[in-house]
Amino acid sequence: MTRNAMIDEWYPVGLASQLDAHGRKTALMGEPIEVKRGEDGNAKVTGGNGRTLPACIRYGHVWSSLGDPQKPLFAIPEADQPGRRLVDVGVVRVRCSPLRAVENFLDIAHFPFVHTDILGAEPHTEVQNYKVEIREDEDEVWATQVKFYQPQAAKSAEGGITTEYMYRVPAPTCSILYKTCPPRPGEWDVITLFVQPLAEDLCDVWPWMALFDDDTPMTDLIHFQQTIFLQDRSILENQIPGLLPLDPGMEIPTRADLTSVAYRRWLKRHGYTYGAQLVAQ
Amino acid sequence: MRLSHGFVRGEILSCIYHGWTYAQAGNCLRIPAHPALTPPDTIRVAAQPVEDGGGIIWISVGEPAAGPPRFEGLAPLRSMMVEADVAALEAAAGTKIGEGLLDYTHNARTIRLLLAAEGQARTLMHVLVDEDSNPTERIAASRAAEALRRAAEHISLSGIAR
Repeated sequence: MTRNAMIDEWYPVGLASQLDAHGRKTALMGEPIEVKRGEDGNAKVTGGNGRTLPACIRYGHVWSSLGDPQKPLFAIPEADQPGRRLVDVGVVRVRCSPLRAVENFLDIAHFPFVHTDILGAEPHTEVQNYKVEIREDEDEVWATQVKFYQPQAAKSAEGGITTEYMYRVPAPTCSILYKTCPPRPGEWDVITLFVQPLAEDLCDVWPWMALFDDDTPMTDLIHFQQTIFLQDRSILENQIPGLLPLDPGMEIPTRADLTSVAYRRWLKRHGYTYGAQLVAQ
Repeated sequence: MRLSHGFVRGEILSCIYHGWTYAQAGNCLRIPAHPALTPPDTIRVAAQPVEDGGGIIWISVGEPAAGPPRFEGLAPLRSMMVEADVAALEAAAGTKIGEGLLDYTHNARTIRLLLAAEGQARTLMHVLVDEDSNPTERIAASRAAEALRRAAEHISLSGIAR
């Protein structure tokens, strides 16, 4: 039995804004943990046997790890850019593999069917060719030049536009989406999906955003993202098989799925298999 | 994703996730992400014979030798999933399946149940009533079926039927 390579990764375990001295009980990869504000004011995360776990606060969330992270949490340079509104969307519990939650986030072909009239609409269903690579220096999966027609790309969008996307996977259960920013051409809105693996088939999903949008009320921004993600949840909880298959099996990938193919390959290469199945069924 | 989450448009079945559409023979007709692509014939789902008889949709795995059974004088009322196997339902009803139906008598009324095993401990239960039942009788039959479901699930959980 080899060591679980995902054990040394950072995971979101709560909102920084909700840290308190009382603490919050949650779980990480099957182990009960507690997240609270320590006496020194910093986040304190305690494992099931009372041991202190690594902790840091970044991008609106508390991050922790059951193991020994070999590098700091991935960078999102845009998060520190002046003028952005940082949106804590909150948490959605989903009965699915944490890897499935990320893979669905990387998929655009489902927009017209799952997020009908918001992120996509028939007959604008075509996924044009885009570029996918595993960037060796950063050790991240990237998809660029992704274009899709969207009836309402963002809360701030009026009418349909062709939106351009870039996707980044810097950690096995985290993805960052860069998206055309309607009020500020030339900049990218940042929408992230931070996934806390509670078990191989259960996760808490913490979407987070860093947007150029000074007008939309915060409540509306949160509602928009929650609406989208709840539509995804009904899909995620019904996927078969529940664990993400890393070997070719019954599924038939097309060109539109190249990001998913690269993500699965990258997971397998690193042995990131918590929430995955290796033998095709 | 099961196609049962999708929808039927005309004679075409459409998957809810990415909108792939399938013809009656099971072959894929269209992949919306690639509208110019003609899906290869190898992309297909298994198709089973299906028949609508007496308000009940029947499917057959393989080639059926005869048509589906008919339950004269009965009409389908509702279907519900029971987290128990057929043996637990029989134990809860206190009777065995006869002539394809399980009879359950509750508060001096008898309802008739058509059972389809869905797996280890799960049964799809279709409730049938006399076709001339009035609304009050139909509501009572529905309640009776719910009571039977609770009883069967209790038996299943406590292992009495084992």
